[in-house]
Amino acid sequence: MSGSFTEHIVAFGRRQSLVGILSRPARPLPDAPAIVILNTGIVHRVGHHRMYVLMARQLAAAGHPVLRFDFSGIGDSSQRVDHLSPVNSCLADIAEVLDSLETHHQVKRVVLVGLCSGADHAVLYARRDPRVVGLVLINPTIPPTARYYYHYIAQRLLRLRNWISIATLRSGLLRRLLTHVRHGVLPQKQPDTLTLDGLEYSPYLEQSYREAVRRGVKMFGVFSALSPRATYRQQMHDAFRDVEFGDSLRLEFFPESDHLFTPGKERARLRAVIKDWLAGLSPT
Amino acid sequence: MNPLYVGSGDRRLFAIYEPPAVKRAHPRAAALCYPWGSEYVNAHRSMRHLATKLSQAGFHTLRFDYFGTGDSAGDLIDADLTGWEGDAESAIEGLKDIAGAPRVTLVGMRIGATVAARAAARLADEIEALVLWDPIVSGPEYLRSLNIADTPGVAEIDGFPLSARMLREFQAIDLRADLAAAKRRTLVLVTERLASHADLERDMPRAGAHAALEFIDARCPWREDVTLTGEVQVQAIQRIVEWLA
Repeated sequence: MSGSFTEHIVAFGRRQSLVGILSRPARPLPDAPAIVILNTGIVHRVGHHRMYVLMARQLAAAGHPVLRFDFSGIGDSSQRVDHLSPVNSCLADIAEVLDSLETHHQVKRVVLVGLCSGADHAVLYARRDPRVVGLVLINPTIPPTARYYYHYIAQRLLRLRNWISIATLRSGLLRRLLTHVRHGVLPQKQPDTLTLDGLEYSPYLEQSYREAVRRGVKMFGVFSALSPRATYRQQMHDAFRDVEFGDSLRLEFFPESDHLFTPGKERARLRAVIKDWLAGLSPT
Repeated sequence: MNPLYVGSGDRRLFAIYEPPAVKRAHPRAAALCYPWGSEYVNAHRSMRHLATKLSQAGFHTLRFDYFGTGDSAGDLIDADLTGWEGDAESAIEGLKDIAGAPRVTLVGMRIGATVAARAAARLADEIEALVLWDPIVSGPEYLRSLNIADTPGVAEIDGFPLSARMLREFQAIDLRADLAAAKRRTLVLVTERLASHADLERDMPRAGAHAALEFIDARCPWREDVTLTGEVQVQAIQRIVEWLA
């Protein structure tokens, strides 16, 4: 292991059931926030292509304590026993992890990092906890806009197999458009329990961003063009027109990347831009 | 479930140990060898369930990440198959110490099956039995499935960097030779029938009287669709536990 950081197995949470790896810098940056990396879907804390291991090690070498852990029921963490809904279970796990970091490692300020569902969990959680000072949101859920559909449709109609899918009514594009029309035209009853399914149409998502901005949380939105989430750099601003992001949001767009940043050089660039953004975060 | 490190120094390996649910007078132990790359990511959930089922059946179990993979030390580009066989030996030694068992059963999936079979050949007296779950039968067939067989000098497979040395080691994989060398009671469990399985079926008797090849009607636990749905391969796991019990 490099001499610039050390890695430790940790068990967090009220039942010590959340398994994680804490990377501790040999030379911590003064007042640097701790980084907490959240699961993508049900993939365990290592991440797709081991991306979170390399990210954690690089950020720890740069002076940040970094924790990667598994939500309850994912990877090596046990299931919760309180029967919370999936989203509320993840949010409760984050709270317990931050409590443990504060109690045992004197962590007062945290940046949450997540890709896809991990990013959604991060922004949904940030509204409720003043310890969260920053969010790195990689391909989070955002509502589709007219310009999004223009790009999305133009990209897909160039491919024969998409025409075949439309002709056979198996098209994801068609399904997405119908969902959009349904949500736009017909008033939809919001589910009693918050879910990630249909989150882009939930008022709770916009409220979460608005609340994060109000609290002064700094956000770094990273989008890849070959992901179904966003097709252009400014989509976040267009999608949340009522949220005055101001200088609390920085955006980075990867025109050549897929949803999971599969090529190694794209992941190296992702690590570099995150490190750069963290370096610009002001201390307390 | 107890996470721990085995090995030492620059080759420290992350592992998870699960004690047996029932204590036995003569302890039994099983080490699980993962696949690598995307297959590792996809199969992790099934391997965790297999470890839990084995521990419920009375085994001390240990699953571990090879050097350069998962939570273990190192970078994948610096890893090679020979080193992973050494990692398996470290895991076996660690498990024997914890369990107090004189011998260990090895269960390997995909490249983990290659690692397990070769470790069994090297440590014959310390191995009780071998389970090879969807093993790579032939290196050239495997590389063709990755669409890199004719791409010399390829540096990355599905986002995972790979050294030229590792690629040569993959090319040389021959399950029949590894089975013949292992000489241990062996179950080869297959969920996806490939062309090479016909040759394997024909040659199984030469691998030894204790080697059995079984096909099972189950999804491949190392495919991406399994990760998307969170599916666990219950039938295959049950069969492995039954066979070992």
